[in-house]
Amino acid sequence: MEIIRVNNLHKSFDDVEVLTDINLTIESGSVTTIIGPSGSGKSTLLRCLNQLDNVTSGTILYNDEDITSNQTNLNELRSKIGMVFQSFNLFNNLTVLDNCIIGQEKVLHRSKHKSIDNALNFLKQVGMYDFRDRKVTTLSGGQKQRVAIARTLSMNPDIILFDEPTSSLDPEMVNDVLEVMKNIISKDYTFIVVTHEMEFARDVSDRVIFMETGRIVNDGTPNEIWNINSSERLKRFLNI
Amino acid sequence: MFILSGSIPKDFFGGIWFIIQNNYPLYLEGVKYTLMISIAGTTLGLFLALLITIFRIQESDSRDNFGTRAYKRISVIMSASYVEFFRGTPMMVQAAIFFYGFAMIGIRIPILIAGIIIVTLNTAAYLTEVLRAGINSIDKGQMEAARSIGLTRGQSFRYIIFPQAIKNMVPAIGNELVVNIKDTAVLSVIGVSELFYMGKSIAGTYYRYTEAFVTVAIIYLILVLITTRILTLIVKWINIPNKTTFPTSQSNPLAVN
Repeated sequence: MEIIRVNNLHKSFDDVEVLTDINLTIESGSVTTIIGPSGSGKSTLLRCLNQLDNVTSGTILYNDEDITSNQTNLNELRSKIGMVFQSFNLFNNLTVLDNCIIGQEKVLHRSKHKSIDNALNFLKQVGMYDFRDRKVTTLSGGQKQRVAIARTLSMNPDIILFDEPTSSLDPEMVNDVLEVMKNIISKDYTFIVVTHEMEFARDVSDRVIFMETGRIVNDGTPNEIWNINSSERLKRFLNI
Repeated sequence: MFILSGSIPKDFFGGIWFIIQNNYPLYLEGVKYTLMISIAGTTLGLFLALLITIFRIQESDSRDNFGTRAYKRISVIMSASYVEFFRGTPMMVQAAIFFYGFAMIGIRIPILIAGIIIVTLNTAAYLTEVLRAGINSIDKGQMEAARSIGLTRGQSFRYIIFPQAIKNMVPAIGNELVVNIKDTAVLSVIGVSELFYMGKSIAGTYYRYTEAFVTVAIIYLILVLITTRILTLIVKWINIPNKTTFPTSQSNPLAVN
């Protein structure tokens, strides 16, 4: 079942076109990774999917509803499409646990009790349970990103967008976070991951999308991308 | 009156001492009004600034319909004009216009109330800019993350952005209080019997202007020194790191000091 369908998407910042005629469907419960050189429009595409960036033209259907329309309730939409950021963006004025419950309480209107239970459950899953009462500013990068993942999971979203989740981490912490990500992969969520971790992309993806200069250049299974369809350009990028 | 001014010592320090001894109730009365107006004005000004800031930071995006966009545009223009007017004209002139303006249309505002209102309006203009700068200084990622879990823009400000911004703004708000303690002196133009006004009338009593105003200056200095010390303590108290948090080897050293 498809959960996202992108039709003829264009996105410009002022006069610079950063996404050109993107067409894409995403299957529910799948893992899609988007790879490509810096400036190829990967992150912008991701940010269009939860409407942190508006599209210039084209449509994005989420469960057959056009979310680029003015009628869409963006807040409700975003509670179902979670996002994990490159720079973590944990709420600096809140504790680890409060980071994971504020959205549940204020957006989903869950009771405090239920929100805490749910949050602690996910904090356990990402290995940050013992840090639940800490101020987030005292955490390391890897710890912050794990909390950010728990914060996103706490909203029980359908889709989780990862925007280069390991790019601002120390090398030793990258694997920590990648392990957590592998752990939470299940049919309950649809994952769309922008990453420079090629090994991770090859190992966990159902599908890999290669973007360059705002276009989708290659689109296939990891096997197709690495072994079968590789153009010269893609081989150079993948270093194979 | 003649006898009084005749008995005052001729030398400078003797004059000051004489003036203080014989007029300290008047000076204290002046201090009372100065502190009342500046503290009330700063506090009320802060609340007014919070309100104005809400209008000042409206931003339209491409999803807004025409009505919403117009409303936001007008909010910004009105609040920015307010700030420009009160920051761009002297408080003494504002006080005169306000007081005599109302008198002209037959409304007599009690002088103390008029003083507080003028300081409030002025403080609100300055603190609106302080609040806006404080909000702008918070990393854009905080707002993005808040919106990304579905919080509205209003909720994001209330629960995430504002609590972080206010912490950075405390020194600037305290500074505004110190400025107000000194600037209430201009309210003497409408006859508010604050410290400077008292100084003027005491000076006139003895024809010893320097001595009377040096005394006034010393009192202002004492008030400001005490206030800044108290503010420093408040800022220190706010910045005490979370008591339940203990730094570990993995802690970010910048974040715990």
